[in-house]
Amino acid sequence: MKKRKVGTIFRVVALSLYLVFAVFPLAWIFLTSIKPATEVYTFPVRYLPSRPTLEAYRYLFSFARFGVYFKNSFIVTVVSAGLSTVFAVMAGYVLTRERFKFREVLVLVLFFVQMLPTYLVMIPLFTMFSRLKLTNSLVGVITVYTSFGSAFGTIMARAFLRNIPKDIEEAAMIDGCSKPGALLRVVVPVLLPGIGAIFSFCFVNSWNEVFTAILFLHSDHKMTVPVALYSFVSKAGIQWNVMAAGLVVALVPTICVFAFAQRYIVQGLTQGALKG
Amino acid sequence: MKKLWVVLMLLPTFSLVFLLNLYPLVRGGVISFQRLTVFNLNNPRYVGLANYETILRDPNFPRILWNTLVWIAWSVSLQFIFGLILALLLEKPFKGRGAYMGFVFYPWALSGFAIGLLWSWLLNGQFGVVNDLLVRMRFIKVPIGFLSDERFAMMSVILVNVWYGIPFFAIMLLAALQSVPRELYEAAQIDGAGFFQRLFGITLPYIRPTVVSTILLRIIWVMNFPDIIYGMTRGGPAGVTTILSVQMLNVVYYRNNFGLASALGVIVTAVLLAFAVVYLSLLEKGEFEL
Repeated sequence: MKKRKVGTIFRVVALSLYLVFAVFPLAWIFLTSIKPATEVYTFPVRYLPSRPTLEAYRYLFSFARFGVYFKNSFIVTVVSAGLSTVFAVMAGYVLTRERFKFREVLVLVLFFVQMLPTYLVMIPLFTMFSRLKLTNSLVGVITVYTSFGSAFGTIMARAFLRNIPKDIEEAAMIDGCSKPGALLRVVVPVLLPGIGAIFSFCFVNSWNEVFTAILFLHSDHKMTVPVALYSFVSKAGIQWNVMAAGLVVALVPTICVFAFAQRYIVQGLTQGALKG
Repeated sequence: MKKLWVVLMLLPTFSLVFLLNLYPLVRGGVISFQRLTVFNLNNPRYVGLANYETILRDPNFPRILWNTLVWIAWSVSLQFIFGLILALLLEKPFKGRGAYMGFVFYPWALSGFAIGLLWSWLLNGQFGVVNDLLVRMRFIKVPIGFLSDERFAMMSVILVNVWYGIPFFAIMLLAALQSVPRELYEAAQIDGAGFFQRLFGITLPYIRPTVVSTILLRIIWVMNFPDIIYGMTRGGPAGVTTILSVQMLNVVYYRNNFGLASALGVIVTAVLLAFAVVYLSLLEKGEFEL
């Protein structure tokens, strides 16, 4: 009995320490973002601001035009994640429900593409897209993100669809429902948690992608949030409270998505979508 | 009818995959034999193996390969060990476990690049809070240049990568732990097996397939994960944190030399393909679930 109690205490202490370790960096960047510029560069460090201020955020959205970057990021992310989810459900559906030639090969292709990092193919994509005049455009970036999103979305869709019994569509089809009708009216409603997980995955990946975006989007009004942060670093004299505010703006959307979809994301991760 | 249905349903995903993911991989191979920069995008010149020669003649290249190995080995092994510890701590249900998991797993959803920038502020050599804490706790007397000192830079980026990667391993391993049949533990309990005997005798052998596949995928992924390094040091100081993928990005962004960068990309792709063959053949053999 005594041994068990020691074990519990150890567990509580270890988990508490890890919680601090996991949350502190984010808390710190938030604290930095609400400090007045004069209190950012001090050593020993000043932990709490003497008066919390939003001046860094004000600078960010007026002089640094972060509103534009945020809007660009939002458009790129939502459109590509939406398209990827639709395409993934379509492909995932026939890959689980129909038997046809090359099915296994196509699945292997998806698993391979999932291992492929975006930065590795960005140069050929850049030369291809520059011929189509799609390099400095959100449409180009959306297309690239949708291609990667559909690939790993399909793997996730397959994993979720395998857990849905075939009977429900067969019953609907006996009742005179067509195949597309059965998919839309019977399968999709049952698949909603899976669809949520696929969308969240694609959202997180597209929102966070930085290297293709840096190469593709060079004019100021086309930049996404990560590109703006990248250009901040190169700009001399950027204040760290402003940078911190930019980071908070960059991180909050995916944290929200994670908070809402955590359960499905965890399910998706363990059910075969292996992208870290 | 059925054929048309299948083709139409697969068309969007697979046309994108073949056109924008697989074809560029081949195209990158072609570009690696060209002299191609931002300034001659439309009339590349074939230069044979010149780009590869440049890479192999670069006196820093062995160092870059070594850095890549160090980065992968330390990152993955530490992520695995701490991920396993966290998963074991979370295995038994307790009140508030769901909320706790939300708070510690959230880094998974964050941008690696932003995380790099964030930690570069925490580890700042003059005004960083980590230095402040270490000085206050009297571990050090003067602040350390975690990112500017060649002795500490690699260690720093690896530790941040470990911070970032623990949740992923913990999620995967926790799911695996929960799939171990309870009966196995009950039998061990009767035999009077201790914690470590259970861990090494039952748990780890049972979840081995998940461990192998997760580590294999993680190696590929960490090799191709320049995001954190790019946010923290961009490969510096003096190249001590330059891994292959970071080098490729620097050649693209600073030297605008697409041919040379593509040759580096081909080297990365070769390693990736080798891993993919191992991984996909394990999948085929049914070692783990496809």
